[in-house]
Amino acid sequence: MMESSQFLLAVAGGLFVIGLLGVVIRRNALVMLMCMELMLNGVNLSLVTFSQQRADAAGAVMVFLTFVVATAEVALAIPIVLLLVKHARSLDIDRFSELKG
Amino acid sequence: MTNPLALIALLPLLGFLLNGTFATAIGGHRFGHRTAALIGCGMPLAAFALTIQMFLTLQASGYTPIVEPLYRWATLGDTTFDITFYFDRLSAVMTLIVTGVGSVIHIYSTGYMHDDKSFGRFFAYLNLFLFFMLLLVLGRSMLVLFVGWEGVGLASYLLIGFWFDDLANAAAGRKAFITNRIGDAGFLLGMFLLYRAFGTLDMDVINAAFATGAPVAMVSASLVGLFLFIGATGKSAQIPLYVWLPDAMAGPTPVSALIHAATMVTAGVYLVARMSGLYLQAPEASQLMAVVGVVTAFLAATIALVQHDIKKVLAYSTVSQLGFMFVALGVGAYGVAIFHVVTHAFFKACLFLGAGSVIHALGGEQDIRKMGALRTKIPVTFWTFLIATAAIAGIPGLAGFFSKDEILWYAFASETGGGTWLWAMGALTAFMTAFYMTRLLWLTFFGASRMSHEVEHHVHESPLSMTGGLVVLAVLSVVGGYIGIPHFLEPMIPLPKVVASLEHFEHTLLYVSVAIAFSGVGLAIFMYGGPASRAEGVARASGPLYGLLSGKYFVDELYAAVIVRPLAWVSEHVLLKVGDRLLLDGTLNGLAGLAQRSAGLLGRVQSGSLQLYALLVMVGMVGALLWSWRHV
Amino acid sequence: MLVLREPMRVALALITSMTSLGAVYGLMGVHFIAAFQVLIYVGAVMVFMVYVLMLLEVKEAPGSRRFSRYVLPGVIGGALLVAALGAGMLRGPASAGLLPGEGDQAFNLVEFSSTFLTQYWFVFELTTVFLVGAIVAALAVVNVSRRRQG
Repeated sequence: MMESSQFLLAVAGGLFVIGLLGVVIRRNALVMLMCMELMLNGVNLSLVTFSQQRADAAGAVMVFLTFVVATAEVALAIPIVLLLVKHARSLDIDRFSELKG
Repeated sequence: MTNPLALIALLPLLGFLLNGTFATAIGGHRFGHRTAALIGCGMPLAAFALTIQMFLTLQASGYTPIVEPLYRWATLGDTTFDITFYFDRLSAVMTLIVTGVGSVIHIYSTGYMHDDKSFGRFFAYLNLFLFFMLLLVLGRSMLVLFVGWEGVGLASYLLIGFWFDDLANAAAGRKAFITNRIGDAGFLLGMFLLYRAFGTLDMDVINAAFATGAPVAMVSASLVGLFLFIGATGKSAQIPLYVWLPDAMAGPTPVSALIHAATMVTAGVYLVARMSGLYLQAPEASQLMAVVGVVTAFLAATIALVQHDIKKVLAYSTVSQLGFMFVALGVGAYGVAIFHVVTHAFFKACLFLGAGSVIHALGGEQDIRKMGALRTKIPVTFWTFLIATAAIAGIPGLAGFFSKDEILWYAFASETGGGTWLWAMGALTAFMTAFYMTRLLWLTFFGASRMSHEVEHHVHESPLSMTGGLVVLAVLSVVGGYIGIPHFLEPMIPLPKVVASLEHFEHTLLYVSVAIAFSGVGLAIFMYGGPASRAEGVARASGPLYGLLSGKYFVDELYAAVIVRPLAWVSEHVLLKVGDRLLLDGTLNGLAGLAQRSAGLLGRVQSGSLQLYALLVMVGMVGALLWSWRHV
Repeated sequence: MLVLREPMRVALALITSMTSLGAVYGLMGVHFIAAFQVLIYVGAVMVFMVYVLMLLEVKEAPGSRRFSRYVLPGVIGGALLVAALGAGMLRGPASAGLLPGEGDQAFNLVEFSSTFLTQYWFVFELTTVFLVGAIVAALAVVNVSRRRQG
């Protein structure tokens, strides 16, 4: 049986991987954004675990800051997606591949 | 004047540059014929005057060689290669001949090429040739000699193909150049061996080293001698590389006189004579030289018997006489060979210039079957041609007699390689020489006229510029034999020792030589002086032999079939199609195509799809994680 | 969350996930963080997300495909990543366990706030600047959308 910290870290890693997988797999733009939120949560969990392990407040501070940044990011990403959707009339990601090389 | 020797060589170069720029199409023909002739003849004459002065200086200093360094050419580590000029007895003789006979021929050319549209170009090339030839004979190091060697080959090519509008002339020039180059490969190999053994290419140093026998263990003298001789066969038209000389008659006659009689073709003889120290230690190479020389002399003489172009007869005669010179070199009589070079320069140049005069008089006709009865019409030409013919036939008292007789004597009796059979073949060749030269003389000048009427109507004596040269050379053909060059050169190049038991044959052989000369002349007069059917009857009777000789032993055809065609086939099919197109072009195009295709492949990464980017990030993370564990 | 078809259901799954995480934080002793997780993430971010979904869902055509082109490579890559992370974790040194009760003291509100505002005050100010920037960006987006419309 694993240590609880290892278990928590495994959960955090799992959340991260699932989030990344979701970004790659799903077609819907909003679902992709939500998977990105999941990734951020996974990272937060690992930060909290480490911070608790070492009784260091720095990790918690970082989590706090991550909250701020994630909120701001979502607040801006959604309107951009809205504009894109209005432009392309669909939520399908494949329509937005104009950043070609 | 700090560098008189260099000046001798550089004056003709200056003439080349001046004439070449201003008297040709490049400079818009700014110099007229008079200016071009003045420069073109003035430079060789000035060089001749300088040579005489240098000769007097040499004499006054007791014949110690004059060494004049001019320019440091290259420095390779410890060794340096300099352009140094060297003037000793041998160089003096050669330089006097080159500049003297050269000047005469230049003056002759002003008359001969008078109506030619490329007058300036001709003199430019002639001067260029003179420059390289002087480099050849004045150089101290074999490198300078080789520069001159190649340069005269170039000048020869330019001059043979002078009238290049006719493709046959251009082909002849090319043949000469390529055949020369084959010989040069041997020359280069010889030079490499010498350099490796001695660390220097200065010829006097090498000769001295061979004389004292110091590092002879490092190099086989015979091998080097053989290689240098291969170079000489190319330049001096011996078997197997003589085939270019008859074709070289496509060039203007003064060119044939200067280059292919008096000077360039003697470069090989000069080389061997200069390296006498080497060849004295190389008995096998010397023996080979003598054999090749005598066989060449014999075969060339047989071909000359049946030629009917006046210049071709003289060309084969040149090959034959060069063979004589190599016989002399082969038996160790280097000074005698040089003697023959000198006398040959006189009478052969006179013969060629006389032939040029005849051609000029007849408005371009060169076939002796269409000549005759010119004796009274062009007397000066006739008399000079007669004297020169007598000289080459070996009539006693004239120049050719002395040199040829000495060669035959040493061929018979020299301790180093002489032999009876060598003498016998030489004597037979001398007989044939007398015969075919008299035949040439007779058919051209005597008998009934076989010319066409309008040609006969326009026959006229050549201008003074041409006849003056003829007279000068004819006089030299008479008195040249008394100069006694072998004895002049003896302190430098000793004459070979004669087998003691054969010494008393000397006078006998002398009488035999005289008899040969007269009988050759007599037989020719008998054959051709009588009704024409006599000669024709003999020709018919010897059917196949006549065909063989007429076809020049079909050597050219043999070379074409055995060497040229397979080479051309290989060039076309192997080197061009496979080597060039398939390998080189294919590789380059393939590389370019590879670059293009891989670029196309890699370009698909940037598809603009966000999800692909995210996928790549994922894969990249895996890779980074794995990589970061290398040191854990 | 990866396999649900409707985006609204995906959002609900995410809300559940985040709330559970909040509970985990609480059990770990970082009550401050737990509170903020629920307040900010679930209460602001996810509500915003649900609102947008409701806005756009009506226009969305039914029968659109669920998965993108990169499903198979993605799944393989994901498996590899899990394997790599798991191997890394197992290789690593044995970790100390979680602190039992002492964590409570380091992370209770008073302690945390004083640490935050004395030691890390600079970072706090930076976030303020960052939020100002975010506001400006939001206004810009609004302007762009207005210009587009008319």
